[in-house]
Amino acid sequence: MATTTLSTEKKFTWGGGKSPFNVSYGKLMMWIFLLSDAFTFSSLLIAYGFIRTSFLAPIANTTVKPFSHLSHNFVEDMVEKTKYFVQDHWPSPELVFNHFPFIHGIHLPLFFVSLMTFILIFSSVTMVLAVEAGHRMAKAEVAKYMFLTILGGAAFLGCQAWEWTTFIGEGARLFTNPYGPRSFAALFFIVTGFHGFHVFSGVVINIIIYINVLKGTYVKRGHYEMVEKVGLYWHFVDLVWVFVFTFFYLL
Amino acid sequence: MEHTEHIEHTDAPKDMKSKIWRTFWILLAFTVIDIVLYFMLLTTHSMWKNAIFIVLGVVKAYYIVGIFMHMTFERKTLKYTIILPMIFVIFFIALMIIEGNFTLSVR
Repeated sequence: MATTTLSTEKKFTWGGGKSPFNVSYGKLMMWIFLLSDAFTFSSLLIAYGFIRTSFLAPIANTTVKPFSHLSHNFVEDMVEKTKYFVQDHWPSPELVFNHFPFIHGIHLPLFFVSLMTFILIFSSVTMVLAVEAGHRMAKAEVAKYMFLTILGGAAFLGCQAWEWTTFIGEGARLFTNPYGPRSFAALFFIVTGFHGFHVFSGVVINIIIYINVLKGTYVKRGHYEMVEKVGLYWHFVDLVWVFVFTFFYLL
Repeated sequence: MEHTEHIEHTDAPKDMKSKIWRTFWILLAFTVIDIVLYFMLLTTHSMWKNAIFIVLGVVKAYYIVGIFMHMTFERKTLKYTIILPMIFVIFFIALMIIEGNFTLSVR
């Protein structure tokens, strides 16, 4: 009896028998890791902010209204007729990201990224609900919310794959960009790719923890702290998306 | 036994579930405000417009880190360890945007 309580309590204490931050060692290290990861993303977004402002501001779109029909070769028209996409002006995000799956030829500016944002925020909510259920040791609830989180993450990845496909389909590459400055496409692929990779690894880690929850690993351990730790990572991914969204689609 | 000082968990408030849902609605509202502002300010380009969107991002970050990541219930030491470096990063963002504007003016 004494041994089991000892082993669970030891998880929360450090070598000196105390935890200076009142959190376990593993959780603090997750925080430190997230801080370093935040630096990486900050450097990418700061580079975006710098390059974006070192180009002329987007040309204001006065002709294409939301829900209006798009011509078949929309990008060419924007380059040749209306001249919204030129080399020394940053492209207006609402003219670049205006497609929606299964709805062809209609101008829906930023609708799809808003949906992606919604999906990611929602999966963050299910994650925090899983953590909350973990505090109450409610195994079935933890499993349910972990599963929903994994679904949300997978849905987000699917959306991003679709977004990339559309963007590449219109001729954007790492070093070529039909919408104007080529650094726009390069930054898009690198930053959303880096974020997408984080989402992907988050989903994989979530699946591992989900399997552990189902196997009852944390019932044996006496606490669901592992769920909290992956939760921290998952919220961080959501947090980064908030800033990717702000910088790429709004600035 | 002297080695196993038990940590009192800085427990989440009893009504954590309602807090979570409230945070969700706040985040959703701010996202909607973001998009509405984007279309309202489509033709204006100035520093304060950038500032508004970055501040809105920071407000959303506060709710995600504070409630979802449990930071508001943690100890002060942990708060400052994580948040203080990020404040300098925000400063860095502002600096590089100003620098970008200067680069544009000399290009």
